[in-house]
Amino acid sequence: MECADGASWSVEDSTQVRPYAVTSGRTQPRHLLSLESVLEAGSAEPAGTASPEAAQILALCRSHRRSIAELSGTIGQPVPVVKVLVSDLLDARALWLPVTTPFYDSPTGPRPHTQLLEAVSAGLRNLWPDAASKAV
Amino acid sequence: MQDYGTCGPTPPRRPSDRSPAVSPAGLKIVIAGGFGVGKTTFVGAISEIEPLTTEEYLTAASAPTDSLDQVESKETTTVAMDFGRITFDVPVVPIPVELFLFGTPGQERFLHTWHSLAHGAIGAVVLADTRRLDASFTAVAYFEQLALPFVVAVNQFPRAHRYSADEIRQALVLDPGVPVISCDARNGTSAASVLMTLVEHARSARFTEPAVLDMRP
Repeated sequence: MECADGASWSVEDSTQVRPYAVTSGRTQPRHLLSLESVLEAGSAEPAGTASPEAAQILALCRSHRRSIAELSGTIGQPVPVVKVLVSDLLDARALWLPVTTPFYDSPTGPRPHTQLLEAVSAGLRNLWPDAASKAV
Repeated sequence: MQDYGTCGPTPPRRPSDRSPAVSPAGLKIVIAGGFGVGKTTFVGAISEIEPLTTEEYLTAASAPTDSLDQVESKETTTVAMDFGRITFDVPVVPIPVELFLFGTPGQERFLHTWHSLAHGAIGAVVLADTRRLDASFTAVAYFEQLALPFVVAVNQFPRAHRYSADEIRQALVLDPGVPVISCDARNGTSAASVLMTLVEHARSARFTEPAVLDMRP
């Protein structure tokens, strides 16, 4: 497969173990999670022995809240696998999803609130003082 | 199945033995563009973490761009996306804001990825290379159709011909309101300018509705 920008295409080389072996063959997460769902560590320990991958996810979330996408990239497992593992940890209350309502429903789907856009704008300005919007 | 998506109902309750912490709001921006246009570089220039590669499996049929004459059917496609994050702790809102950047392949057969990424997104950056401007058509048409705010950022490659914003606007048949800007994807300030342009564009009257934000913990 054509791959002009280097390593972004990895199908065979990243998977030493068949992906769904990690989830005992399960392919469907019990919770509907999106790529940007953010997870925080809860106080409960997962019941029984967690798989190395689940333990890794838990350790990562204990050091910092993490999104599904970040967990997937960090532990080198595909998103669907991570969603199954995270679902287990949510059920065990070892992880939880913080509640925020950053969106409102617009006719074309959910949109972030204006205040949050303002926060992003201000945050970018803080980090890159020389950056400037060129909106018309 | 419970829905914990962007607009879903109640997630698990915070255990009562934990002191109330401030939860962040997660927002996302899609960086779309063809192969080699600089998406990974762009994400890397601005992300506070090393850009990660995230694999998603798609179980829809591929578009006819794949030559499948020898294969009866193809049901799973693996899509690699770049992922980056920036955390802001600004007084504007009472909670920290996490901005996620998703670099996603720009071809038509990856539209499925875009659909979930575009859901609830601030908007999209269409990263363009003037030597291969046609690679941007699909992304432009898609975001127009979704009414998702987007900007066209022309990554200035050293030996590529420089076109004016108007020439690019004409070539891509863009709505006059769509910002067209040049950028250097390697440069954090330049990438931040592109994101600020997108955020301001998304705030413009065309996209925003007055709404009161309730972020009580």
